Amino acid sequence: MHCVRKVTEDLYWVGANDHRLALFENIHPIPRGVSYNSYLLLDEKTVLFDTADWSVCRQFLENIEAVLAGRPLDYLLINHVEPDHAASIEEVLLRHPETKVISNEKAFMLMRQFGFPVDGRAEEVKEGDTKAFGKHVVTFVAAPMVHWPEAMVTFDTTNGVLFSADAFGSFGALDGKLFNDEVNFDRDWIDDARRYYTNIVGKYGPHVQFLLKKAAGIDIKMICPLHGLVWRSDIGYFLDKYVKWSTYEPEDQGVLLVYASMYGNTESAASLLAAKLVEKGITKVSMYDVSSTDISYLIAETFRLSHIVLASVTYNLGIYPKMHNYLMDMKALNVQNRTVAILENGSWACTSGTLMRQFLDEQLKGITVLDDVVTLNSAMTPVQEPSMDELVNSIAESMKQ
Amino acid sequence: MSFKTTTEHENFRAKIREFAETEVKPIAFLLDKESRFPDDAVKKMGELGLMGIPYPKKYGGAELDIISYAIAVEELSRVDGGTGVILSAHVSLGSWPIFAYGTEEQKKKYLTPLAQGQKLAAFGLTEPEAGSDAGGTETTAVLEGDHYVLNGNKIFITNADKADTYVVFAVTDPMAGTRGISAFIIEKGWKGFTFGDHYDKLGIRSSSTAELLFSDVLVPRENLLGKEGEGFKIAMSTLDGGRIGIASQALGIAQGAYEHALEYSKERIQFGKPICQQQGISFKLADMATKLRAARLLIYSAAELKENHESYSMEAAMAKQYASDSGLEIVNDALQIFGGTGYLKGMEVERAYRDAKICTIYEGTNEIQRVVIAAHITDKLSNEQHAPIAKKRGPITGNRKKMIFNEGSAAERTDALVAALKGDGYDFTVGIDINTPITQAERVVSAGKGIGEKKNMSLIKELAIQSGAAIGSSRPVAETLQYVPLDRYVGMSGQKFKGNLYIACGISGAGQHLKGIKDATTIVAINTNPGAPIFKNCDYGIVGDLMEILPLLSKALNTGEAKKPAPPMVKMKRPVVKKELPQGLYVCNGCGYEYDPALGDPENDVRPGTKFDKLPEEWICPECGEDKTNFIKV
Repeated sequence: MHCVRKVTEDLYWVGANDHRLALFENIHPIPRGVSYNSYLLLDEKTVLFDTADWSVCRQFLENIEAVLAGRPLDYLLINHVEPDHAASIEEVLLRHPETKVISNEKAFMLMRQFGFPVDGRAEEVKEGDTKAFGKHVVTFVAAPMVHWPEAMVTFDTTNGVLFSADAFGSFGALDGKLFNDEVNFDRDWIDDARRYYTNIVGKYGPHVQFLLKKAAGIDIKMICPLHGLVWRSDIGYFLDKYVKWSTYEPEDQGVLLVYASMYGNTESAASLLAAKLVEKGITKVSMYDVSSTDISYLIAETFRLSHIVLASVTYNLGIYPKMHNYLMDMKALNVQNRTVAILENGSWACTSGTLMRQFLDEQLKGITVLDDVVTLNSAMTPVQEPSMDELVNSIAESMKQ
Repeated sequence: MSFKTTTEHENFRAKIREFAETEVKPIAFLLDKESRFPDDAVKKMGELGLMGIPYPKKYGGAELDIISYAIAVEELSRVDGGTGVILSAHVSLGSWPIFAYGTEEQKKKYLTPLAQGQKLAAFGLTEPEAGSDAGGTETTAVLEGDHYVLNGNKIFITNADKADTYVVFAVTDPMAGTRGISAFIIEKGWKGFTFGDHYDKLGIRSSSTAELLFSDVLVPRENLLGKEGEGFKIAMSTLDGGRIGIASQALGIAQGAYEHALEYSKERIQFGKPICQQQGISFKLADMATKLRAARLLIYSAAELKENHESYSMEAAMAKQYASDSGLEIVNDALQIFGGTGYLKGMEVERAYRDAKICTIYEGTNEIQRVVIAAHITDKLSNEQHAPIAKKRGPITGNRKKMIFNEGSAAERTDALVAALKGDGYDFTVGIDINTPITQAERVVSAGKGIGEKKNMSLIKELAIQSGAAIGSSRPVAETLQYVPLDRYVGMSGQKFKGNLYIACGISGAGQHLKGIKDATTIVAINTNPGAPIFKNCDYGIVGDLMEILPLLSKALNTGEAKKPAPPMVKMKRPVVKKELPQGLYVCNGCGYEYDPALGDPENDVRPGTKFDKLPEEWICPECGEDKTNFIKV
């Protein structure tokens, strides 16, 4: 049975939800599932905007046929060739030999590489081109490296709908809802939206900025992303988040405390540090065990908060591997403009603090590491308390600036 | 060929020697003792045509050869090493780059009065972080319309502040390492161009040596010497020639000391005969004479090569290295021959002993001379190695707040300063004795030359009392003006301040001073010159007249009661200064590859320091092959 929703006049959501996928891109946990959004425009011509992942292909095909209601599918418009949106191209084209595929040169190259048969039916467009489907006229805007090189967004100049590809998407299945005003986004969705952006697109802030600058010139009424909710109100709220994320500015003045603890001693010190921060009035403290928290959550929190405390044991004379992995992911995702404080622990040769400082200084950009450091030998004792108080003071001071 | 100088050379030598013996020798002891510049003698050198020996007559020179020039420096140094270097710095360093790289207009305007001896020249390359490694140059020149805006400072500059014309090197492209350095002709008296302390030197005390301070100096575009980015090349080729001058200076100093020792050894009788008859001394004299001849031949040979426009860089380095190394041995032996007598002030060999040392240090240390020589005799590898990129260094005192109070009246500004200090946790109800040693003081109020007359020190004292601080000063205030004892001057060569609050009054901020206060928690600057380096090194600043600001500040700090004794010092923490982001990054639209000019793209022969817009047109993304146009600026 088909399951579709009307987006606006002439336009239908024909995507599908996936609750069974554990790891998005086989790496990021998605306990709330994910939606693969595809949109079908019924004008003088019929146009399908992107497809869906193979896992939901049957549902997706049923949805298309239901909305087409016997009409031919004139065009398949591909904004993004990543297989979670493009895997069903072949199946759609097999069922609709009449369909022409509209996309850009690089996208067609990738389709050929992935083995999607578009030869003989490809209609190549580039940025600035327009295409009329009847009363709807769309124009194409390149969105290179958001987060793939071929990515583009398509703007319907007739009704102000922006088909934004992966931009403005989110983890989380829709489960019947479709629009941002049908949920409490700031309570139930923002964390997954942030985790999606920061882990998938986080590295490409300058490219997102580039796209936002281009998009500033058009009057967007509605955003239809390839994952998550359709935005038809309060677009400024989400744009503001994108500006912050893409410029690596924190959303909140607060402390992310990430600890690596083997037997609980570092954790105990981290807890004390958290308590001291809160007593100092810094109540926005979020604390995570680096060993048991998926790194995608840590990255999202890293983008959200202004300050980070790294508390790590020394392991094989180096940084605890899980902590090291977190640092490397920060580098990979271009994390910058953060203030970091260090707590290190080592029972016979404590190296983790120095190594973490060196990594932050040399491998990341614009990371201010506070001079103060708390050094533990196995476990926190009253001897180290003054240095922890100093560190807390320094964090509080740096937050005032 | 005869390996001999010509009759003309020797006649010329006789002329210089006579001048040196009559005009310089009688006052040499006094010049040394009082660190006094021989103004009259230098003027007469101009009249004699010595100031432009190797330059064409059309530019006011004497059009003599390089050997003549070497002879002149040698003969002057023979009686006074300081006078020798005045000539060498003027001819080789200050004038030569204008002669070699100047436009016709620049030569007419600047070289002619220099060669005629109407004006004196100097050369400004060395900086606190750029000694042997000119790549560390931090002085900057930023093109703004018709002018370059010059900022920075140069240290150890011979002939400063006596010189009128300065060839100064500054960074015009910070990303390009030594290839981003350019040369400029700067005139004394230009706005923002001032001089720092005179150095109290071991030797060559008749020469003037000072620091050059540039604060927003507007340099007309036409005063760029050569092209932008040619500065390093100009400096290096200038130093090649300068080495002939310094070698001659070393030779002259040693020659003078040798002659004195030889004469003395003939007169001094021990064990019944002149000591020159004792084998121990005669062998010394034999070695000294041999070294002098070897050095002289090396120098004249290099000078001859230069005269004939042949490559002489290695030979000049050999001459400089050998003449100065052996010169040190000769003056040492000369003093030894004099025995205890030579150890006394007033003895020429004592002065020569001190004068000679500088020759192994300046215009390229002798270690650098060996680098130059080795590069010539091994392969060219060391020459071709990519010049390291000058790392962007911050102010000497580290990153400071640099909060300058410039809103409102003087009283409002001082009040704002006091409020900020109180906000940082300073308690002005307590204080320390104004005579607390600098190294133990929690707070210091320091006076610089800007304080003016000695009576104004009462303002410093009052401010010290009201701010609960000890009194300190810059070096000239203690050393030259002698307003405070020597142990109260703050700086790298004086006392280092490691306490919390440092209030610098009328101190411009010479490098050595700033190094002495870099551990201060808070630096306050009060100065009339908004471009003074101290303002780039302070947390708080007020631009204004000390006579107006200091009383207001004292009043604002006055609690109406005597300060209570301060508790033991607790070192306050420096505020955190945000780490800056790298600049000039571009990212690829095809893959996200980030081009960082600091790294370049060595695999594709793009040197570190190459700006994105300087990449060759055919350069493509090393990761995905997109061309340059598909990059966006971060």
